Amino acid sequence: MKPAPFEYHRPETIEEAVALLGELGDAAKVLAGGQSLIPMLALRLTAFDHLVDIGAIAELTGIERRDGQIWIGAGTRFASVEASPDAAAGVPLLTRATRLIGHFQIRNRGTAGGSLAHADPAAEYPAVALALGAGLHVRSPRSERTVAAADFFEGLWTTSMEPDELLVAVSFPSWSGRCGFAVEEFARRHGDFAIAGAALGVQLDARGRVTRCAIGLLGLGATPERAGRAEESVVGRAAGEIDAEEIGRLAMAELESVPADLHGSAQYRKRVGAAMVARAWATAVTEAADA
Amino acid sequence: MELTDVAATGATRYAGRRMHRVEDARLLTGHGTYVDDIDLPGMLHACFVRSPVAHAEIRGIDTSAACAAPGVRAVYTAAELNGDAREQWHTSVGRHSPETPRPPLAEGRVRFVGDPVALVIAESRYLAEDAAGLVEVDYEPLPAVVDYTRADEATTLVHESHGSNLIGELAGAPMATLDEAFAAAAHVVTETIYQNAYVPVPMEGRGLVVDYLPATGELTIYAATQAPHEVRLFCSRLLGLPEHRIRVVTRDTGGAFGQKIMVQRDEMCLMLVAPKMGAPVKWVEDRQENLVSAGQSRHEHGAVQMAFDADGAILAAAIDFVSDCGAYPTPWPVGTAGLVGMLFPGPYRVPRASFTAKTFYTNTVGRSAYRGPWQFETLARELLLDIAARRIGIDPMQLRRRNLLRPDELPYTNPNGLPYDSIAPLATFEQALEMLDYEDFRREQAQARAAGRYLGVGLSTYVEPSTPSFDYYATEAATIRVEPSGKVNVYIAGGSTGNSIETTVVQLAADALGAHVDDVATIQGDTAVTGFGAGAAGSRSGSMTAGAIGEAATTLRMRIVAIAAHKLEASEADIELVDSRASVRGDPSAAVSLADIAATAYFEPASLPPGVPAGLEASARYTNTTPFVWVNATHLCTCEVDVVTGRVRLLRYIVSEDCGPMINPNVVEGQIAGGTVQGIGGALYENLVYDSDGNPMTTTFVDYLLPTSTDVPVIEYGHVETPSPGPGGYKGVGEGGAIGAPPAVVNAVADALSPFGVTVTRLPLSPAQIVALIEEAGRR
Amino acid sequence: MPERSVTVRVNGRDRRAIVEPRLTLADFLRSHCRLTGTHLGCEHGVCGACTVLLDGEAVRSCLVFAVQADGAEVTTIEGIAEPDGQLSPVQAAFRDCHGLQCGYCTPGFVVSLTAYLRDHPDPSDEEIREALSGNLCRCTGYQGILKAARQAAAELGAGA
Repeated sequence: MKPAPFEYHRPETIEEAVALLGELGDAAKVLAGGQSLIPMLALRLTAFDHLVDIGAIAELTGIERRDGQIWIGAGTRFASVEASPDAAAGVPLLTRATRLIGHFQIRNRGTAGGSLAHADPAAEYPAVALALGAGLHVRSPRSERTVAAADFFEGLWTTSMEPDELLVAVSFPSWSGRCGFAVEEFARRHGDFAIAGAALGVQLDARGRVTRCAIGLLGLGATPERAGRAEESVVGRAAGEIDAEEIGRLAMAELESVPADLHGSAQYRKRVGAAMVARAWATAVTEAADA
Repeated sequence: MELTDVAATGATRYAGRRMHRVEDARLLTGHGTYVDDIDLPGMLHACFVRSPVAHAEIRGIDTSAACAAPGVRAVYTAAELNGDAREQWHTSVGRHSPETPRPPLAEGRVRFVGDPVALVIAESRYLAEDAAGLVEVDYEPLPAVVDYTRADEATTLVHESHGSNLIGELAGAPMATLDEAFAAAAHVVTETIYQNAYVPVPMEGRGLVVDYLPATGELTIYAATQAPHEVRLFCSRLLGLPEHRIRVVTRDTGGAFGQKIMVQRDEMCLMLVAPKMGAPVKWVEDRQENLVSAGQSRHEHGAVQMAFDADGAILAAAIDFVSDCGAYPTPWPVGTAGLVGMLFPGPYRVPRASFTAKTFYTNTVGRSAYRGPWQFETLARELLLDIAARRIGIDPMQLRRRNLLRPDELPYTNPNGLPYDSIAPLATFEQALEMLDYEDFRREQAQARAAGRYLGVGLSTYVEPSTPSFDYYATEAATIRVEPSGKVNVYIAGGSTGNSIETTVVQLAADALGAHVDDVATIQGDTAVTGFGAGAAGSRSGSMTAGAIGEAATTLRMRIVAIAAHKLEASEADIELVDSRASVRGDPSAAVSLADIAATAYFEPASLPPGVPAGLEASARYTNTTPFVWVNATHLCTCEVDVVTGRVRLLRYIVSEDCGPMINPNVVEGQIAGGTVQGIGGALYENLVYDSDGNPMTTTFVDYLLPTSTDVPVIEYGHVETPSPGPGGYKGVGEGGAIGAPPAVVNAVADALSPFGVTVTRLPLSPAQIVALIEEAGRR
Repeated sequence: MPERSVTVRVNGRDRRAIVEPRLTLADFLRSHCRLTGTHLGCEHGVCGACTVLLDGEAVRSCLVFAVQADGAEVTTIEGIAEPDGQLSPVQAAFRDCHGLQCGYCTPGFVVSLTAYLRDHPDPSDEEIREALSGNLCRCTGYQGILKAARQAAAELGAGA
């Protein structure tokens, strides 16, 4: 299973990279960690005349705390995020999600930007980005802009980026106060793509009432989903009085196009998804209450 | 000295021990030689163009663009290749068997997605794949027969020349002979059990390198195979090349489990291409090819019934077995299907039985052998026994205890005429239950249920025919050469694909000669220097190599002892052979090394005792006269089922096996473990799926799920030892894990779900399927 | 498709070649460097048989192009044992615990475990299982492999 031929480019700056993308258009594909792209090339499910490898662009790697946010360069490896104390302190939901990605060999190569740009609805990072309202920072030869996560994921493996745009960084707002975070996903085997999962954050006030809740869902749509109504339903209530299973049910009730495949029907995914939300809720609330 | 007594003089020193393997030094350091590691000067690479449709007429093939592509040497279709095939038949099946016609490349029609249509030969696999994408085939689709359960009624025939989609059928005593037993029965239990298609998935796919030298007319084949000599013989017939001009070399093969026993069409194509290319050609299948075209297994069902008296004693057992054999089963599958019927009664006291066994063609990949190819009989029987126990209201273990053959009943001829001997089913059954502490588990289960958690226990027990003695399996040869320096080389056919045959042969030979294990080496897998052997199949290697080595070693021992006695001026009866030394019993100072004995034998023949020939090498061919060497085991598994998600977590897994004495307990346990995890995979994770048009849906490891290290329990082993009548008492152990595991796991899950009123009759038990079963039972 | 020059330091030795960009690191090692110990089990990044160390990190070499490894250091299974042939603690543990049968997946397991134990010297059994879940084996049922990992962890931990 060998890939079809392509021309290879290895720019050393963001400018060079976006210039190449501008010049080559649809004929080019960005190569980041390669953990999703290279299998597709090997299986000849897809082919590109040009690959633009961003692995040599130093500006694209790094994890930084800045203005109450955690900034992660798009070329930053999952393993770096997993090991980062800044990430663990500033956006614990992301750190916990990172541990669930594939296997450690995959995490040594796969990148934050690659996962977000690939936009697999069963992946962890898109769901976390959506839940936390991350900012996706893209650059083209023409401009720089920031896309809110809610506007970034448009469809199955499709983002709102233009062909000549490169994702350069993602910024996650940090939560303060009494917070709890959990990622619960159900996969056939350890490290497999989730059949259904939830990335959840909850913040409580001093009296134990919910002040904030974010629920991102994976594997339950063509894109990551946000369980907005379930989130709204808990705000202002005492955490101890909230039935976890009810949150799970509410989260599933909003979903419109739950996938079905060899591994399960839509109905099955919703059953599992509800359980994942419930379990994530219970874990996160316990952590927040202890905070 | 008795031929079967491989350690007649002196204590057994190596057999029975957990020795380090001789294979490991090279394999651990990356110095194994698998087919893809072979690199010959000027070597070319092959890539098949395969059909993307399940059934179609081939209207035309345009290879012009492919032929013109960079690095391409040739592109073949059936028109250029198939005509060169002289004869194609497998030795174990015979020339006259009613085999499926197997054109090397598809001729006129394609019959499954993955059917090889053209063969591209190029300078690299990369370039060959590029060119394969340029071959244009004009297909005119035909209706595809995909559902084997309806193949009988289908108007489309997979092989028109066969006249039917029924490949063949066998039957035992007619069902009518059981009418009385069923009519009188206190309980009759009837179900239809369905097994999913799943496959061996060796980590290395199939492959070979063919290297033909026109000047000498010699063909060398480096093959990934379980049977190098059969590859040679098959190829010799196929090409009309004399057998002695073909050499097959197998050094290391990365797993096989049955998928590399028989030469298949793809390998035939490479053999046919060899004389045409003027250069060596390599073909190694990639993972997608392996999952799509190497062969499917296990896809079958059986309508099963058992009649019981009021106490739960089995009165009769019947199975109507139906098997999906795809478009090109290799080999003819009817015999194995018949074996399912014959073995269905298992190691139980069953007075009467009936069976029918049918095999059908479909437009899917052909059936190939997989570890314990008949294992459906155990799946069906053990599932039915648990279902029966629940319906009758007896504990499933108690039901089995009542019916398992007792030692005083053996040997026993089962109701289909199979004669069991040298097995201990009740002993393995009781040992397994004791190792678990069955009563304790039931208490734990009850407590868990009260807390809303669902634990289950499942068991299966089986009897297995190993070491077949029909056809080319009947004999095995060994040549043992004590070299002039006293070191020992053992030449034996081999066919190891991970079965540790190099190590066990060294252990056996060292014992047989009284040599130190470090002084013994083995050469296997090269047809130029080893005698014909049927290869590693049918769990035969332990017994057959022991027989062959025993016979060759006996001859040498007599000479070694005679020479030693002569040198030490002692009587032959007082000579002991230990650690490559011959010494006089009771006088350790009176000793001579095997090295000195060999030097004398080779270089001073005049000083040999009368009647002892020069040199120290002997060949012998052992003939197995026992129809089958019977093995048995019990598998016992506990699990917890998450009834919300359907996930199954295996808790404990116990195997009590009776494979007779063990040559190397590590090897025995390793074989059991591997087979068991493949069985766990088949029950819970693995599923080879086609859509209704015959398109394969599980063509990569993303969708075809193998168990990983987080999916397997620690396997605990109990050992019962009933020797066979064969050499050393050894029995086969390679296949049993794959036979015993699926029903043990399924029964455990069914037991966990019994509070829901779930009956499990269909595999695999994916989480989604378990949830569906719970939901469906809730609706009833 | 313009070829490129790459220099990769493999097991301590510089290897130079002119390669197509699409040549995987796995194929570069096997055919250009003639280091055939790195095996191809799936070529789509699931089975782990092709695992090597790339700048010290365990990666699937079928998911790296050789051109991406230009200037990098690679350790393959052939570079794990001592130059005199003495097995590493991980390799010796596999031998002691019957952690291999056909040997095809073994290089990937040995390299993966070597990297993992280097970075996690005191893993629990559960952590070992999870760490090795990215490598597939078909022969051993993982039993001997997990025992080997436990033995190697104990030995390497004891030495630390």
